[in-house]
Amino acid sequence: MSEDGSEMAPVIECREVTKVYGGGRAGRKASVCALDNVSWQVGGGTIVGLVGPNGAGKTTLLSLIAGLLFPTQGSIRVCGHPARSLDARRSLGYVPESPAFLSCYSARAVLKHHAALHGLSREAISGETERVLSQLRLEEYADRAVGGFSQGMRQRLALAVALLDSPRLLLLDEPSNGLDPIGVIELRRILSEVRQSGATVIISSHRLGELERLTSDYIFLHRGRIVKFGRDDAVAQTGRLRIEFLPGSPRLREDVLAPYDLAEESETHLVVAVNGIEDVPGVVGSLVKAGALLTGVTLEMQDIEETFVRLCQERAS
Amino acid sequence: MKAYALISETFLRKTSLRLVHLGWFLAYPPMFLIPSLPETWQWGCLVFAWSGCLLPVVLSAGIFGDDIASGRIRLVATEPIHLSELYIYRFLGLSLQAAAHLLAVAALILLLHWLTGRGSLDRFVSWILASWLIFNTWAALSTSLSVVVSRDHNSMTLVLATIIVFFPLYMLLLFFEDSLATRTYHAIVRYGCPPVEVLVGLGKYRLATGIASIAHSIGLTLLYGAVGIVLLKNREFKYAAD
Repeated sequence: MSEDGSEMAPVIECREVTKVYGGGRAGRKASVCALDNVSWQVGGGTIVGLVGPNGAGKTTLLSLIAGLLFPTQGSIRVCGHPARSLDARRSLGYVPESPAFLSCYSARAVLKHHAALHGLSREAISGETERVLSQLRLEEYADRAVGGFSQGMRQRLALAVALLDSPRLLLLDEPSNGLDPIGVIELRRILSEVRQSGATVIISSHRLGELERLTSDYIFLHRGRIVKFGRDDAVAQTGRLRIEFLPGSPRLREDVLAPYDLAEESETHLVVAVNGIEDVPGVVGSLVKAGALLTGVTLEMQDIEETFVRLCQERAS
Repeated sequence: MKAYALISETFLRKTSLRLVHLGWFLAYPPMFLIPSLPETWQWGCLVFAWSGCLLPVVLSAGIFGDDIASGRIRLVATEPIHLSELYIYRFLGLSLQAAAHLLAVAALILLLHWLTGRGSLDRFVSWILASWLIFNTWAALSTSLSVVVSRDHNSMTLVLATIIVFFPLYMLLLFFEDSLATRTYHAIVRYGCPPVEVLVGLGKYRLATGIASIAHSIGLTLLYGAVGIVLLKNREFKYAAD
């Protein structure tokens, strides 16, 4: 992913997208700005995690890309085509947060129905249906009525629907909702396969730990704005350096560690906020020069969850 | 395959729709048992009212509204189909159901009439055609309404709107038949609303009048459908399931 998208034609291109809900006639309803001047683009063959607290605008952003909503301002292109156009929809698969199906249809009937909407021939419909049933390991449930499916099974079926006809872009809104641990592992496996096939996956999830296993590319949304985006080495750039030393070391904080944020301090240890592993030699060198008798140094880089919390706190303050 | 999938869905989307067809169909034979059935009783008129005017209201209940409320539309609307196609095939699904239903009803009535000789089959073919035409007009109106009205409330809205429109007309015709306002309102209802009054006369007058009635009915169906397609194309499908 790149901000200027110079390397390859972007799969998604959002330009100054704003989405305002409500306002209503005569201003009876208060308007809510769900997305505020969002611009970003993403190339092919990546998995991008969409991260943000409730109400950050994640679902709105996915819905706009899927063509389910219209932007109030700005434009969105999917694989070079305007969002909601037929060509754009031909390129994407979408899994909503709470997928719904006709309850009297079987899983196989649902898949055949959606495959038919892709304009496939009878043979291709059967072939695609069996392929995704097998890929999602849904064969056992293929002829059961969807009405009796659990939330997790519905999610898997929605993913199967989205994978029909091998889309170039997969949009997933909380896809692991209701999935059991094995289902989550399966989801990871499938998404890795999808990425290997060259497709792009945008995944919105509250399960940040799960995201971390899937991707190193993130978009952090907060109150409708992109707070940060990029690879994890750019996003989760802060870490905590824990330094242990013998008591009686000189006035470390004022003299040596002035350029750094001190998170904790005691007679025998310090915790310093650093921007990455490249800061460690400088900090440690300064301490040694100052005469500190170090007994241990541990670097803990922030994981995506901590980064998420930190960014939210920063924005809130 | 796309057309087949979308057309068959209108029948398969609820198991209750099969019961509706059966119930509507089975309502006809008991009519033949009414003890003092007038000689002038026209079976075609009954088909027009029961299957032509009431059946579309039930069959089209929630045809888009259910999908929008459940969130299913978010899966359908992201598939590579024109939303106009989606509307047209859903409407065709209703229309074809009506055609099959009316043919079955016609066969049943002809059989029972042949067996019992009760009532009249005067203008029967015209009545069946009129029933199908009026079904299509009501179905198009109800389907378009379903794009903007939540769940299956399109049917109830249509019934209420019909009462609201037709009751004042009835009262005006009763008490102020010759006033300009009554005549204007009557003309608006006659030509702007589903053409019940126009189609009731199908086959009764000259051929040209009949053709004009058919054309008027088809024109209104297309107009209602076009409005529905425009509404559907400009509709947002928000994330919240109802």
